[in-house]
Amino acid sequence: MNKRDRIFTTLDHREPDVVPITELAIDPIHIEAILGTAIANQMQLQPLTGRRRREEEVVQRTERVFTKLGFEMVACEPSAPDEWSPSPNPDGTVNDEWGRVLVYDPTSRVWIQRGSAFKSTEDFDSFAFPDPHAPGRVFTIESMKKKVGDEMALAGVLRDPFAYAWEMFQVTDFVRWLYEKPNFIRSVIERVTNFNLDLAGRMIDAGVDLIVGDGDYCEKKGPLVPVKFFKDVIFPNLRKQVEVAHRAGVKFIKHTDGNLNPILPDLAEIVDGVHSLDPSAGVEIGEVKRYYGGKLVLMGNVSVDNLCTRTPQDIVEETKECLRATAAAGGFILSSSNSWYSNAKLENCLAMVSTGRKYGRYPIGSF
Amino acid sequence: MEHSTLERIKNAFADVTSVEDVKELVKAALASGIQPSEIMRNMSDGLSSAGQKYERGEFFLSELIMSGIMAQEVSQLLKSHMPNSTTSLATVVIGTVKGDIHDLGKNLVSMMLTSAGFDVVDLGVDVPADKFVEAVRARIPQIAAMSCLLTTAMNQMKETVTNLDEIGLRKNVKILVGGRPITPDFAREIRADGYGEDAIQALKVAQNAIS
Repeated sequence: MNKRDRIFTTLDHREPDVVPITELAIDPIHIEAILGTAIANQMQLQPLTGRRRREEEVVQRTERVFTKLGFEMVACEPSAPDEWSPSPNPDGTVNDEWGRVLVYDPTSRVWIQRGSAFKSTEDFDSFAFPDPHAPGRVFTIESMKKKVGDEMALAGVLRDPFAYAWEMFQVTDFVRWLYEKPNFIRSVIERVTNFNLDLAGRMIDAGVDLIVGDGDYCEKKGPLVPVKFFKDVIFPNLRKQVEVAHRAGVKFIKHTDGNLNPILPDLAEIVDGVHSLDPSAGVEIGEVKRYYGGKLVLMGNVSVDNLCTRTPQDIVEETKECLRATAAAGGFILSSSNSWYSNAKLENCLAMVSTGRKYGRYPIGSF
Repeated sequence: MEHSTLERIKNAFADVTSVEDVKELVKAALASGIQPSEIMRNMSDGLSSAGQKYERGEFFLSELIMSGIMAQEVSQLLKSHMPNSTTSLATVVIGTVKGDIHDLGKNLVSMMLTSAGFDVVDLGVDVPADKFVEAVRARIPQIAAMSCLLTTAMNQMKETVTNLDEIGLRKNVKILVGGRPITPDFAREIRADGYGEDAIQALKVAQNAIS
């Protein structure tokens, strides 16, 4: 059974030979340490530029790291269109394709959001909405597919329309408009959904094996917005995206940080799997397995916080517990509860992987 | 009439209606001769009620943020009606510590503090210890509040406390800390005076710190 087959078997809720392991993202500092080479001006696969040479370098490096770690799956974001470049601002920030104002964080060496180009809802009327059919949109995915072939599973990352809307407008503006101009927020989410429907089709044509819906729905205490808004707006639009994937025989895993328990019953009726299952927000992966294990593939959930602060021995125990609670009967992909971000101790991340390999062989024994 | 209008203002915050609704109510209250301080008190009660609903899981983050937005707008409206009185409970110097540029949590706390009547001096993100010290020296706040998301930035909080200690300013200011990696144990270890798990807790801790 090769790595890709392990993912397919897992997605079908059957037991492969070993529990598959992967991460949705690994920060540059760890990539450098794993490969033993310094990276100049490394950026995430985040599509900040349409310059293809840099993207090819990132694809190559990512594939090397994931192969070295023995990961079964690699996730790829779509690209910016050919020749597109971000608009620089005088203060060193840049505007991305979605009007998000990003600042480069020298600590993690990735771009993070600082603000928004939208100051009013009227600004959105004149916004040049991104084109899912633009040339080069799936460049990274096509490049990665060429690298991994049929050996490693390839996930296409589709950013959630709610997450886009939450980020495109500053949080306080998003919230104010959510309550005062709900039809505006609804229309933005629907418009991004239409973008995603077309993009998902292109990703599938480019050869992705599954789709990961990125973007958070929840924070530590619970959903970011009322559950009713999920039921009325977010979930119907999520369902449309999942249906595009399903029509092509592709499964859909939804990522979110935070406490997703209040929306889990609805989510289980829409998607094929969930990622993160954030233990720091009180999500018990064993409980989720018990209630939803027959429906949902679970991907997680070694605490990203513990990867930063605990010892490798702690992580070994936590990973074993995760396997005990979740691996039986398949439908489980081992990963951290978010990503290997710059604060994590690499020895802890590697302890998670080695423990997964040591104890994650089916049938799962007692340990 | 007075009781009814004030009650409606309180309920507008507790139920999170809209900025325009609550501003209309406040304008009506002012027009009928109700003192701004009474309006502030009812707004504060309503905000507190919204915060409790959030803590019980009845409200979600968006509702908490919306109540803060409403409070900021009302505070602004009331300022022009109280030109000669100070409404500030205390001054808070706040920032995300050096090595970290995440600001959502810090901004939420800042909004809650402002809404509750604190005078907030926001130092922004990536704030080094000496900038906190300088702000404490210059602004003479009752509270210095530090936030971070990244574990690598946690030690900056300790450095700020140490620097304030060394130049004799520590005893004049209460230090509050918060952020994803921060725990009550860490707060005790660096000798902070308080820890807030979320924006509502941070507000309570700040209120307790000056009581």
